[in-house]
Amino acid sequence: MMFGMGILKGLWVTLKNFVTSYFCKPGSGGIFTVQYPEERCAEFENFRNFPFLVYDGSPDKIRCVACGICERECPPKCISITMATDAAVPNTVDQKNIKVGAGKPARRPEIFNIDYSLCMNCGMCEAVCPFDSIYMDHAFETTAMGNRTDLLKHKEDLLKSNDYFLKVRPTLAAAVTEKRRIAEEKKRAAAQPPQGPAL
Amino acid sequence: MTMPGWLRSIEFAVDLSFVNAKGWFLDLLGKFLPGWIVVLTSIVISGVVILCMGPIIMMYLTLLERKLIGRIQNRYGPNRVGIWGLLQPIADGIKMFTKEDIVPANADKLIHLLAPIVIVIPALMVFLVVPFGERMTAANLNIGILYFIAVSSITTIPIFMGSWASRNKYSLLGGMRTAAQMISYEIPMTLSVVPVIMMSQSLSTNTIVMTQCGDVDLHWFVFTPWGLTGFMIFFLCAVAECNRPPFDLPEAESELVAGFHTEYSGMKFALFYMAEYMNAFTLCGIATTLFLGGWQGPFLPSWLWFFGKTFLLICVMIWFRGTFPRFRVDQLMGFAWKFLLPLTLINILVAGLWQFVPERTAWLYSVPILIVSLWTLVKLNRHFVPEKRAYPLAD
Amino acid sequence: MEILTIGAKFGVYIVMALVLVFALGVVTLRNLFHSALCLAAVLVGTATVYLALRADFVAAIQILVYVGAVMTLIIFAIMLTEHLGEKTIRQTNRQSPAAILGLLGFIFMIGLVILRTPWPVTKRALATGTSVMSLGKALMGSYVFPFEIISVILIAALIGAVVIAKKDPEEKS
Repeated sequence: MMFGMGILKGLWVTLKNFVTSYFCKPGSGGIFTVQYPEERCAEFENFRNFPFLVYDGSPDKIRCVACGICERECPPKCISITMATDAAVPNTVDQKNIKVGAGKPARRPEIFNIDYSLCMNCGMCEAVCPFDSIYMDHAFETTAMGNRTDLLKHKEDLLKSNDYFLKVRPTLAAAVTEKRRIAEEKKRAAAQPPQGPAL
Repeated sequence: MTMPGWLRSIEFAVDLSFVNAKGWFLDLLGKFLPGWIVVLTSIVISGVVILCMGPIIMMYLTLLERKLIGRIQNRYGPNRVGIWGLLQPIADGIKMFTKEDIVPANADKLIHLLAPIVIVIPALMVFLVVPFGERMTAANLNIGILYFIAVSSITTIPIFMGSWASRNKYSLLGGMRTAAQMISYEIPMTLSVVPVIMMSQSLSTNTIVMTQCGDVDLHWFVFTPWGLTGFMIFFLCAVAECNRPPFDLPEAESELVAGFHTEYSGMKFALFYMAEYMNAFTLCGIATTLFLGGWQGPFLPSWLWFFGKTFLLICVMIWFRGTFPRFRVDQLMGFAWKFLLPLTLINILVAGLWQFVPERTAWLYSVPILIVSLWTLVKLNRHFVPEKRAYPLAD
Repeated sequence: MEILTIGAKFGVYIVMALVLVFALGVVTLRNLFHSALCLAAVLVGTATVYLALRADFVAAIQILVYVGAVMTLIIFAIMLTEHLGEKTIRQTNRQSPAAILGLLGFIFMIGLVILRTPWPVTKRALATGTSVMSLGKALMGSYVFPFEIISVILIAALIGAVVIAKKDPEEKS
């Protein structure tokens, strides 16, 4: 229209922005800053941070069988697993006169370390685990307060219950739990003696 | 405006509260001490008040700017340090005090030290002639405005000193650009003040404010055509003199690192920063005295009106900062020399016309003259594309 | 109150002495930029002396024009020369002692002339102060011809500077 219209329009835009920043909601022109320690952003399900191990019920019933697939697939090699060995059952020997259970690999991990300082949050461990035992967590406030070696997390730090899993990743956890339940039932049905027609 | 007598006396008391307090204190001293100490104390009190008020105003101006810019940019400003960030300037001050003072190895140490000191001096000296309230000018010089213009023109030399002493090519470029910008914008600024001086027949700031008084219809100069033009020109030149965006090419962070104060850290940088903000405050203060009627206003005390108007102008400066991109250096200089300078000359002409012609016809003559000249200057200053350089060796 | 006037007098004498010191600095310092800054200090000191002699308008104009504009010009000119970082400017040569002797003789003669001239310092002349209004009236009244000539000279200088600084139109090959 006339000279200087652009300047005036620009000034009007910033003035409007200034005024609406006091009154409007974050989505429609207001301030959308989330002032971190007091307010937090809403968590969404597929946010992946560091891995954790799932147990069903109590920490003894850990799902992980120490197969070592996640250890091999991890790109920065931050997982280190040592399978547990059975302790010897006292005073029991088998046919070949070897103590029963001595040194026999048990299907659970004795040492399961994840080095958070190496982990790159890629989620491949979650993708390859055949036993539904390692999943990516949401917790991001994992600073090491003392020493950097505090970032090496052991099995006890990584174990979290299935209820926690259901809380942070509802759809995935529900699907996994459903799948495991169906597998359980099939196994139970297969383990029962077949019931033929009444003899 | 007729006001009940008791309200009027309260208004007077609040209005002159600072002046009365100082007078009471000096009377008290006069009982014990000889006359010359009282005179000295009076000067010292004014000086100390200015020396304390200047940096405090500057500190809270920085906070105001950060909060307003934040709101314009859809974010909170600083709000962690106190409620609404009110202690933020103190935190900034502590930071500036405790930072290490790095001097480049090759620098000219004496001048590197002197430059920030010398730049604060004119910024503080201008506070002397700013009329903060009814009888609250620190020194009622009868060359007030000329003093202000002269002292603020000293500011170019410490910029040269700072940029030269740093032995840094970015500082040097920034310093040259700053100096060129400042002297170019001083001329329209001075010339835009001339109509005000013509109308108020005096250079003293107090007299200029008194000329703009009127009870109901305000005789502020900004309500006249030449006053409005003069105000716009003065304000734009003031924004350029303080090196504020959009005229902040000399300290453009994305182009010249930080211009002439690249090599300064800690307290020296704080002094440069302080000089810039105090300059901004005093220029807005002078703009309100010259054009917006200074401390004139109906009900509130005079110093409240003055500070209100000055802060309004400062908020406009901050608004400009949040809105406009930076001028390129040739656009900057072209704006001053080819647009503002002819406009100020025509403004002086129109003001002279206003003086000799009765008021109604003066409006009839001056508004068309100003509009036509503005349009002509805009047309003559159209879209300049700098020529493409030929690089013969590049092909 | 006499203490204040005596104090002011001493202050002015100190300022004058400082002006002389800085003026010596202008001609003897080896770093060209430092001598330019000493010149700025001399000009500011001169303005202070004007203030002490109650010529406030002239003091303000001195600062505005000299320190604000002329010094900027001088410093620009200095900055655009080379070899500025090194302290290689020699301010004296072999003829300096003879020149100083001649200068001292000159100062002596001028001093004699100044002290012996009957200056027209009357009470009435001392009592009048100049005001900006009388200066303006004089410039536009009795001195209007020199004023206009100066304006013409300034415009000629401005146009000349622009012409010299303009790029020559390149011939297209």
